[in-house]
Amino acid sequence: MTAIRADGLVKTYGSVRALDYLSVEVEDGEFFGLLGPNGAGKTTFISILVGLARATDGIAEVFGHDVEDDYQRARDRIGLAPQEFNVDRFFPIHEVLEHKAGYHGIPPAEAERRADEALRTVGIYDKRETRFDWLSGGMKRRFLLARALVTDPDLLILDEPTAGVDVELRRELWELVQRLNDDGTTVLLTTHYIEEAERLCDRVAIMDSGRKVEVATPDELRARGEDTLVVTLANDTIGVPELDAPGVHGVTLDGRTLSVTTDDAGRVAPDVIRALDDAGHAIADLDVRRASLEDVFVGMTRTAEAEVSQ
Amino acid sequence: MSIQDALGDRFGVGFRSLLKREVLRFVRRPRNTFLPPAVTNVLYFAVFGLILGDRIDAIQGFDYILFILPGLVVLGAVSNAFENASFSIFHGRWNEYIHETLTSPLAYSSQVFAYVAAAALRGIVVGFIIVAVGLVFVPFAIEGGSVPVRRPLYLVAFMLTITTLFAAFGVVGGLWARDFDYLTVLNQFILRPLTFFGGVFYSLDILSPVYRTVSLLNPMVYMVNGVRYGFLGYTDVNADLSLAVLVGLTLAVLAVDVALFRRGYGIIE
Ligand SMILES: Nc1ncnc2c1ncn2[C@@H]1O[C@H](COP(=O)(O)OP(=O)(O)OP(=O)(O)O)[C@@H](O)[C@H]1O
Ligand SMILES: [Mg+2]
Repeated sequence: MTAIRADGLVKTYGSVRALDYLSVEVEDGEFFGLLGPNGAGKTTFISILVGLARATDGIAEVFGHDVEDDYQRARDRIGLAPQEFNVDRFFPIHEVLEHKAGYHGIPPAEAERRADEALRTVGIYDKRETRFDWLSGGMKRRFLLARALVTDPDLLILDEPTAGVDVELRRELWELVQRLNDDGTTVLLTTHYIEEAERLCDRVAIMDSGRKVEVATPDELRARGEDTLVVTLANDTIGVPELDAPGVHGVTLDGRTLSVTTDDAGRVAPDVIRALDDAGHAIADLDVRRASLEDVFVGMTRTAEAEVSQ
Repeated sequence: MSIQDALGDRFGVGFRSLLKREVLRFVRRPRNTFLPPAVTNVLYFAVFGLILGDRIDAIQGFDYILFILPGLVVLGAVSNAFENASFSIFHGRWNEYIHETLTSPLAYSSQVFAYVAAAALRGIVVGFIIVAVGLVFVPFAIEGGSVPVRRPLYLVAFMLTITTLFAAFGVVGGLWARDFDYLTVLNQFILRPLTFFGGVFYSLDILSPVYRTVSLLNPMVYMVNGVRYGFLGYTDVNADLSLAVLVGLTLAVLAVDVALFRRGYGIIE
């Protein structure tokens, strides 16, 4: 069973082509990432799935239900934590959750139970009588997740759930979502944090300008990008030290900061340290900068362009 | 409950949840929803009913205060029904929480009916408030006077129809508005003039034939007269025909509402 099937999706806003024949499939139970720069069309794609935007052309299905012709069944399966705050600010948050559960056909007593459970799950139960506006930024994010969970969805869609969220909360959210996925919930996640995608996703689609550039596992993805090993030397040095360890692509020196670009920083680090040590350099500090989405992404589009021009 | 039951039932749990939310939204802020019409109508009854009414002859055999009461009920009921639906939908679009229902499995028709039913209910409640204010003032104008209800079934039928009609208009207004001003414009420049020239304060019989004919194009005339028929048993126009036309109009506007929701007019990109 496919959880999401999009085929040739096009969405135009005036002259802007937000989606340009996007085709993608997400399997039931999969943890699927959607990566891409600002304006790539990630939110637009999600909006079409949940019914907040209408495709100009193409087909989108959720668990086999067409998102337009069979909208009720499609929407019944989805829980969405959107990128923007779109919450009813008139009611205390537990009531907002009860209403949301109600729209999905869950009777009042059960809705109340689920609302409390969802608030406990995301750790803001003590704020249940508060209105959305009076939550802190991180709590607002948590609440959006609670609202997505209160209907017990088969497909959980998270549009940048960790934007502007502190490290601790981010880790908590990751664990929570991972647990849900382990229990069988399909997850569609968009994010700008590549470690987030690496850590959580079974597969990742890279999008740009409304198109799918690539679908790959995080391992494959990581192999595309270059890590940078940043070594701070204890003493001044003249000239770039000789480093011919395998897997090293380039070395630059700026003052005492030595930047080594490589496929896999973890693997070459011992060799680099040994080589520097052998050459008589003392090391003050060592840092690994992982390939960023931008790096990987730039690498991929460059390859794509090269293929086209050949 | 199976998914089939939940989806097949247009007035099921989902509908009732949205209806409840919409009702709570006005019940919980009575100072914004019920106090203003109460105050406004105290003024109307005091000025038109008592002070002026004293100097105005009975119209069609009714004391002036009794003659204007049905019109004031209509004015309050329909403007509140309209305001509730239009504001609620516009506000939901403005703060985007209308997404909470749009992304749910609620049928478009269920969403529309819930907004309309809640708004119509608010109109009815305001109607009762105005009658209550009237009950306070009428005895001052007429010795031992009260508010009669000569044709209760007509009264109920007209009140349900016109509050539903204006709630349904409110849905269109709420979807169409781009800003809060738009709603004010609708209320001040369309609703209010139509009501004032709809025979709230006078009988069509006092008008010259030309103005009388023009007035017959104003839907409010039929609403005011229908409700007046319910209270006083008197109407300038045929009550059955009015009711039939208003019911037809209401069904048509409801159909437009559902079509607009289905198309996503004003709510989806
Ligand atoms: N309602 C709209 N009206 C006009 N243009 C829009 C609208 N929504 C999105 N767009 C345009 O569509 C394109 C895709 O936007 P979208 O929000 O889907 O990007 P995204 O991948 O989610 O970006 P981000 O990472 O910044 O969230 C952008 O060029 C954007 O300006
Ligand atoms: Mg986005």
